[in-house]
Amino acid sequence: MLTDPHALFQMTGPLAMLGWLSLVLSPLAPRLSQAIAALAIPALLSVGYTALILVHWSTAPGGFGSLADVMALFNDPSIALAGWVHYLAFDLFVGAWITRTARAEGIPHLLILPCLVPTFLFGPAGFLAFTALRAAYAARARMTKVPE
Amino acid sequence: MTFVLSAPRATLPDLRRLWTDAPAFTALALILTLALIPIYAAMALYTRIFQGDSPWMKPVKFHYALGIYTVSLAFFARFLPEATRRSRPWRWFTAAVVIAILGEVVWLSAAAALNTASHFNTEIALFAAVYPLMGVFAVLLTSASLVMGLSIWRNRATGLPPALHLAVALGLILTFVLTIPVASYLSGNGTHFVGSSTRTLWLMGWSRDAGDLRVAHFLATHALHFVPVLGLIATWAFPTQATRLVWLSATGFAALVILTFTQALRGAPFLPFLG
Repeated sequence: MLTDPHALFQMTGPLAMLGWLSLVLSPLAPRLSQAIAALAIPALLSVGYTALILVHWSTAPGGFGSLADVMALFNDPSIALAGWVHYLAFDLFVGAWITRTARAEGIPHLLILPCLVPTFLFGPAGFLAFTALRAAYAARARMTKVPE
Repeated sequence: MTFVLSAPRATLPDLRRLWTDAPAFTALALILTLALIPIYAAMALYTRIFQGDSPWMKPVKFHYALGIYTVSLAFFARFLPEATRRSRPWRWFTAAVVIAILGEVVWLSAAAALNTASHFNTEIALFAAVYPLMGVFAVLLTSASLVMGLSIWRNRATGLPPALHLAVALGLILTFVLTIPVASYLSGNGTHFVGSSTRTLWLMGWSRDAGDLRVAHFLATHALHFVPVLGLIATWAFPTQATRLVWLSATGFAALVILTFTQALRGAPFLPFLG
């Protein structure tokens, strides 16, 4: 049961969704939300990822040397699952970082929700969106600073 | 005044001192324990069996064993002279021991990971090349008990009753002196069984119908626990005879290791009546 990558895949989605839900609702309980989305769920996914790599890496086809090698890697269901879990864990971790950074820098939570959605779906694009938003906030703060 | 100093302490030892007396060993023990989580997960994912066991059983056992070993060393570090603990040679030595232990466990997990692909000959050649280095690492990590035992032996300011002081030092020294010959024979033997084993003991995996060299290895390495505990009991129960009893129990313990070692060499199981 646990050895079937397709069954394991079904368990990863709800786990990641729970983390993203906690980020969306984070203004209600910021510290709990960080404990879930920046630590507990990424750590749990990382345990699964590490176990998959420990068990399946040595027999996996391909490698990191060329695009063809990387594509060959993903022909192995267990390695493809590991890659998917990698996305889920790190995207959620970045989502938690965005939420935490926005809170620390006074960026309203409502404005980061449009950044969290692409971070969830297309990781780096969401990171880029938040970086732009953060730059805009920093520029505004500089330009509207009252001279002393 | 002398009476107050020699009276057995009624309080339990302060475990927070692990972090101040031997931070590297304490951190390593914690890391070895936490690393069991992904290893157990790998075991759950990989259900194929080799010779009755998951290939991940060996890393699991070593993580427990080395975790217990390092946390024990961290505990005994409080009986080293304060100046030794602060000294540069000691810190370099502990760093070397930590590296040796990490090297061993990484090697073991790599071997378990490659067990699924043992037909790749290049990997086997690599492992064959690394094997002697792992032997050096094993001696280095075991030597920590000898170094600490000798240092504690010479330390007159441990604050321990004389018999217990002796028991702690003897236990640590015996761990090295007894483990090295047993373990080197074991590593040269190719297998830990003498004869063909068909049944093993629950948990420890010791053979029930063949000689098993790991029994003597286990006892030898745990001298650093058994002898101090016997010393503690002797100090508590027979305070006037305690020092003599510690010498007696250390000798008896060494004899037990030799006995179980020769028993295994003969191909006879340990305590066959256990079933």
